[in-house]
Amino acid sequence: MTRTSAPGVRVKDLTVVYKTPAGELPALGGVSLSLAPGTITGIVGESGSGKSTLALSLLNAVQPPGRIKEGTVEIDGLGNVVELTGEELRRVRGRQVGYVFQAAQNSLNPLKTVGKQLLDLGRSHDFDDLPALLKDARALLGRMGLDGGRVLDSYQHELSGGMRQRVGIMFALVLNAHLVVLDEPTTALDMITQAAILKIVRDVHHERGLTTLIITHDMGVAAEVTDSLAVMYGGRVVEHGPTTEVLGAPRHPYTKGLIRAIPRLSGDIDEARALPGRPPTLGTIPKQGCVFRERCPLRIAVCDTVDPEPVTRDARTVACHAVGRLATPVVPKEYV
Amino acid sequence: MITASGITKTYKQRGNMLGARAVPALRGVDFAIEKGGAVTFIGESGCGKTTLGRIVAGLESYDGGDIVIDGTPMSSLKPRHREPFFRRIQLIHQDPYSALNPTRTIHQTLAAPLALRAKQTGRGKAWMEERARELLALVGIDPGYVLPRYPHQLSGGMRQRVVIARALTVDPEVLVADESVSMIDVSLRLGVLALLKDLRERLNVSVLFITHDIATARYIGGDGELYVIYRGQVVESGPTEQVISGPVHPYTQSLLSAIPVLHGVERPGPERVVPTEALNEAHPDTGCLFARRCPFRTDRCEAALPALVSDGAQAHACYHPQRRNVIPVEAA
Amino acid sequence: MTVTSPVAPAPISLRRNFWRGVGRVLRRKPSRMVGVAIVVLFVFMGIFGPLLYPNPLPRDDNALYASPSWAHPFGTDFEGTDVLALVVTGTRYVLLAGLATAVITVAVGTLIGLLAGFHRGRWDSVLMRLTDLQLTIPGLPLLLVLSTVWKFTSPIEMGVVLGLLGWGGIARAVRSQSLSLRERGFIEAAKGLGLPTRHIVLRELLPPMAPYIAMNMLIAVTGAIYAQVGLFFLGVLPFDANNWGVMLNLSVFGGGALSSTAALPYLLAPLLAILLLTLGIVLVVDAMDEIFNPRLREE
Repeated sequence: MTRTSAPGVRVKDLTVVYKTPAGELPALGGVSLSLAPGTITGIVGESGSGKSTLALSLLNAVQPPGRIKEGTVEIDGLGNVVELTGEELRRVRGRQVGYVFQAAQNSLNPLKTVGKQLLDLGRSHDFDDLPALLKDARALLGRMGLDGGRVLDSYQHELSGGMRQRVGIMFALVLNAHLVVLDEPTTALDMITQAAILKIVRDVHHERGLTTLIITHDMGVAAEVTDSLAVMYGGRVVEHGPTTEVLGAPRHPYTKGLIRAIPRLSGDIDEARALPGRPPTLGTIPKQGCVFRERCPLRIAVCDTVDPEPVTRDARTVACHAVGRLATPVVPKEYV
Repeated sequence: MITASGITKTYKQRGNMLGARAVPALRGVDFAIEKGGAVTFIGESGCGKTTLGRIVAGLESYDGGDIVIDGTPMSSLKPRHREPFFRRIQLIHQDPYSALNPTRTIHQTLAAPLALRAKQTGRGKAWMEERARELLALVGIDPGYVLPRYPHQLSGGMRQRVVIARALTVDPEVLVADESVSMIDVSLRLGVLALLKDLRERLNVSVLFITHDIATARYIGGDGELYVIYRGQVVESGPTEQVISGPVHPYTQSLLSAIPVLHGVERPGPERVVPTEALNEAHPDTGCLFARRCPFRTDRCEAALPALVSDGAQAHACYHPQRRNVIPVEAA
Repeated sequence: MTVTSPVAPAPISLRRNFWRGVGRVLRRKPSRMVGVAIVVLFVFMGIFGPLLYPNPLPRDDNALYASPSWAHPFGTDFEGTDVLALVVTGTRYVLLAGLATAVITVAVGTLIGLLAGFHRGRWDSVLMRLTDLQLTIPGLPLLLVLSTVWKFTSPIEMGVVLGLLGWGGIARAVRSQSLSLRERGFIEAAKGLGLPTRHIVLRELLPPMAPYIAMNMLIAVTGAIYAQVGLFFLGVLPFDANNWGVMLNLSVFGGGALSSTAALPYLLAPLLAILLLTLGIVLVVDAMDEIFNPRLREE
């Protein structure tokens, strides 16, 4: 039943709500997103954009007080994971979908060696051949530049941040999952360690033939490794397309503003501009109209009342009234 | 206006029965900040840059060397007489969430240091209220909105601005900004950086900027000095833009090579330096501190520690300095 | 004076907001309102109870160990005195002693914990050894010995002694809290701004710890209630007809409440009072964290 090839993922009209004293508030407001088999997709967004909620939905692992209200998540070979429950769901997690949690550096059990935790994982998934599992783990760790034997005998505190991150990736891959979700894989790591981890992610992705999803707040991280890039804001995917195109010729005003707000090593640094306003939180996402309008330089009357539909043109999807109206595509490099 | 020379600091790690292990955090760091100037320290975590910031802000002691503030060497003063000097140097913490007392409103937070200031200068309550509003307006937030609120009711960016306003209550001459934007939402970061830049120009305060993100250093202190610090030693220094565009130390080059390239906007630099190993504090410190990780090391590197030598405006601590083009170039 | 500062009223409205917030927190869970109601009831009994009944309480020689009735909801005792009246009038002693205990434990414990945690070093070592010493004193035997020479006629005396025997826990809790808080940015910032130590300790360090202190205080009160009732129950303290502990003692050893049903109401009434009061306090403790944390209070 385990797939040996990269699955595709299709998220459709996904709405996830969180129960609060102020009623049920949508963290995801009807998100549609496809991950092509064998690609690395990045989801970039600020806190409160719904990116982590979206990632959890792929595992149908949204925790109460949140719940998936409507929509489907189709994963090749698994069907609609929103409908899976209990034991079925548990088997899917780890075996089919590997997940590297945010702050994976701190998600190891401090009282057990890495090897012991690996055996626990194998047993909980009814692996008969545990020595083979250990062998795979050693090979994976070795592939990531670590001494596998030593790491498996280590406790969490004996490993550095970068090493723990690699252990997290090993856990996500060792059961042979072909869909891997990495939530903020390099937060709290140094630049040099981050570069090393990103290289590993890319190399392992190609070698094992995976479909990879990377959730990050850092445009640079996404730019470095992803093939395709989705930008989220206020529980919506506002722009999605091939990474170099989205970065090189952003169409949505939020994407443009975000890219312009990143200080870079190349070019004229004084052209960096801050984005006015601040991102919405769960409680302040507008009930109707475009979620970005408060900060938008292109705001027009219709933005106040109608939530823009995502429109796809030449492999790029943008949800913006102002951009949709332009007859010709936006001139590339307008942000410079 | 502030000169630090040969600052050393060693932490004693609690060891076994045979004695404590000494961990050098700073191994003799020199630098100077002009009035209104900008100095940036970059390096990986654990390189000593945070310790340095805390020492400069008077929050931590140092073992050797001296800090001279406005011509007065701190070593010549008793600790309690140093305080008025160090008060002119205010630290902006990395984490705006723990830097504000959660049980006190912004009004209360600003009132305490302002009351102290009012007492020193013989001014009254009305001045305090006015000054609180003035400072909040200066850092770009609406006083009426912020003053009666608790920290948890503000966004990360606003909190960091409040933290900056609080530091400004004592009219500091230097702001030490330690990773001050790393915990703020991406779209708000540049706003806070622009504020620090703006304060340099408007109030003529100096900024000691401590970061691992060289691009932000370029934004705030592009006209200032950059110090690259590695395991407690400055390995390269010079004018910020010059060091970024023409690094000669392999460590600086590794740092710059590691910065993600915004594909589509820029192309990777023609050269790329990747360390051969991960950072390990246990590496011997007899020779060059970076030798074990350096792709260009020779026997000489492992024999003796290279000193920081000046080469015009730029200084480096390397036996084999070699300019390499590692930073991304703008896509045409 | 025509110029009024626009921000000046802030502190006043803050205080009002605090109490409004407390009200909101308490209303959030019905159990908290029940707790408050119970505590208020006992405080009312403590203050006004003795005024409701004649002193001394009337006896009725014809109704010794009477069964519960409308006139005597919890029956009567061995002298024919109404048990409910005894419980009500006995509340004051229990509460006053509990309150005194709370004040002493909190004052001593917080002061020592703060000094030790904030100054660290030699202060810390000395104060913590003192705390250890306090914690190792066996409370009950010491009280038994003390009671042979001291009669504890005043509830305040009782409370002070219990307080001096019970501050160690709070001191330790406050110390560990101070140790973790002093590393926080806002304490460092206060130091860096040159604010006086008094301000830092009282205004910056203490308020975030308020929920812990309040919780420890309320728990200390329940402990103190058990301790004093226990002492009187053991009979080591002088006879006082309306003391809950003495009532328990007399009902068990005098009335044989454990073997016959006649004195059962006499046993149950003080027991019920103790349980109810403890329950009230425990239910209120649940709200402390939210009351003193502005974030939880407001939302």
